[in-house]
Amino acid sequence: MNWFLNNLSTVGHLTWLHLLQSVLPVVLGTLVSIPIARFAAGRRARGAGRATGRAGGRRRGNGRVRRGVVVNAAALLYTIPSLALFVLLPLILGTSITSLVNVIVALTLYVVAMMVRACVDAFESVSPAVLDAATSMGYRPLRSFFGIELPLSVPVMAAGLRVALVSNISMVSVGAVIGIQSLGTLFTDGLRRDLMAEIVVGILATVLLALVLDRVITWGAAAMTRWQVRS
Amino acid sequence: MPETASNAIEFVGVTKRYASSVAVEELDLAIPAGLITAFVGPSGCGKTTSLRMINRMVEPTEGSILIQGEDNRSRPAYELRRSMGYVMQQAGLMPHRSVADNIATVPRLQGASRADGRSRALELMDTVGLDRKLAKRYPAQLSGGQAQRVGVARALAADSPILLMDEPFSAVDPVVRTDLQQELVRLHEQLERTIVFVTHDIDEAVALGHRIAVFAEGGRIAQFGTPEEILRAPADDFVASFVGRDRGLRRLTFASGRELPLHPLADLADQAGRPWAPWELLVNDAGRPAGWRFRDREVTGGTLFAPGGSLREALDAVPLALRVGVAVDAEGRASGLLASDDVLAAAGRERRSRYGVAE
Repeated sequence: MNWFLNNLSTVGHLTWLHLLQSVLPVVLGTLVSIPIARFAAGRRARGAGRATGRAGGRRRGNGRVRRGVVVNAAALLYTIPSLALFVLLPLILGTSITSLVNVIVALTLYVVAMMVRACVDAFESVSPAVLDAATSMGYRPLRSFFGIELPLSVPVMAAGLRVALVSNISMVSVGAVIGIQSLGTLFTDGLRRDLMAEIVVGILATVLLALVLDRVITWGAAAMTRWQVRS
Repeated sequence: MPETASNAIEFVGVTKRYASSVAVEELDLAIPAGLITAFVGPSGCGKTTSLRMINRMVEPTEGSILIQGEDNRSRPAYELRRSMGYVMQQAGLMPHRSVADNIATVPRLQGASRADGRSRALELMDTVGLDRKLAKRYPAQLSGGQAQRVGVARALAADSPILLMDEPFSAVDPVVRTDLQQELVRLHEQLERTIVFVTHDIDEAVALGHRIAVFAEGGRIAQFGTPEEILRAPADDFVASFVGRDRGLRRLTFASGRELPLHPLADLADQAGRPWAPWELLVNDAGRPAGWRFRDREVTGGTLFAPGGSLREALDAVPLALRVGVAVDAEGRASGLLASDDVLAAAGRERRSRYGVAE
């Protein structure tokens, strides 16, 4: 406890850096994932689907292949070890080895790996009949996407977002091994100086951060999906 | 009903081919303005495809479709769609928009302000018989019948002379369906739009359509005409089997029951030995029939014959065990008795007058 109070400003600063390195990649990764996922999900229910099945929006052969290729290619990114990526990225990007940019880029890739699948699922959760209705009333594709498809995919997307964010918060710590500042620094530093208190503070701060951000997403999603009836 | 002034929609040699099948072949059809035209037929006969070609949700392979004389490809598809109402099977409401916002969809797409859209939506809720209190609800909070009314209101908001309906009432329960059908007839009389209505239910087509197009396999039109023509003189075996064996009974839908004599309610009391003797009619405080008492048992409900009813409704109102039915006035109060003999005789006369023969 004493250690914590004496180092309040350091812990605060590290928490801020940790927050930056975990939230920014989630935002960037999601923005990258949405168009990729929309492409992978393919055209759904634009009348053509009625040809074979009356349900509408039935997936055609090449659409299924495209979805598989894109989702699996994205998921493959996740198999690259994070430490390897942190070391490798400076060589590719020309950044210094302790730069925050390395962590942000690396974690963005992981978020893409997770969110592409989540977003594809989210788009597929939207009823083709609703999209069909939108088109039949005279919605043009762009307006239909932003006005209907995207808002309706929020519930499933938020679920993916929570997983991505929490796993990011734990992964940011790894950067501390190569000297990138975050709450993980408390682990490496505490280990080196044999300071148990410092390690415990690091663990608690990380858990607290994860809990708070998870709540924020849940509340945010609930506010955006009041139309879902929870009876 | 207004008689045919001109054609609102015209199919000219329209064919729709998919890779492996022909959905619609060489369709020529003129849909009269201001009337309800029902597309009816078994599933997979191309009636929905034909409907969806009108607003270009499906593009024809060959031929063209004229809307008020103008090719429907002469303007962008989205503009065409905004210019005609479309009601679909499951209402197809936007789950994330309130009832009012759903109804205001097309005005908003056309650039109306939020306030204008909202006031228009409230007006239309009155038109289709929805309580204004529902305006802020989300579709998931509505019953099936309410959702379908919202769907109709949304289609009306397009303020277009043409309304397309794709099996709009097939997903709601039969009681609500009858309600909605009557509502549609009322709306049509009030608004006089051209309505194209797809259904697989010949009864619905007969009840609603001023014209019926019977679709056969492969998108061929087996017969096009008024409901009476189709029931009286089916063009071929397909139409005959589709409209069904009991079409004699259906035809009674067109015969008025106005001529039927009404016997005084008092007749029920002193007719010892009559089939209805053990039955006692129950009437509530408002004078409305509530049911029958048979010895110690009360049987509630039962079909009643309302003013303006058809012979078929009169037939439905007369239980065979009783041989009498109850007629009500416009307020729903019991006003007299129908005798089954009278109803059957009237049905027989109707048949003879139409065909000059007794069956």
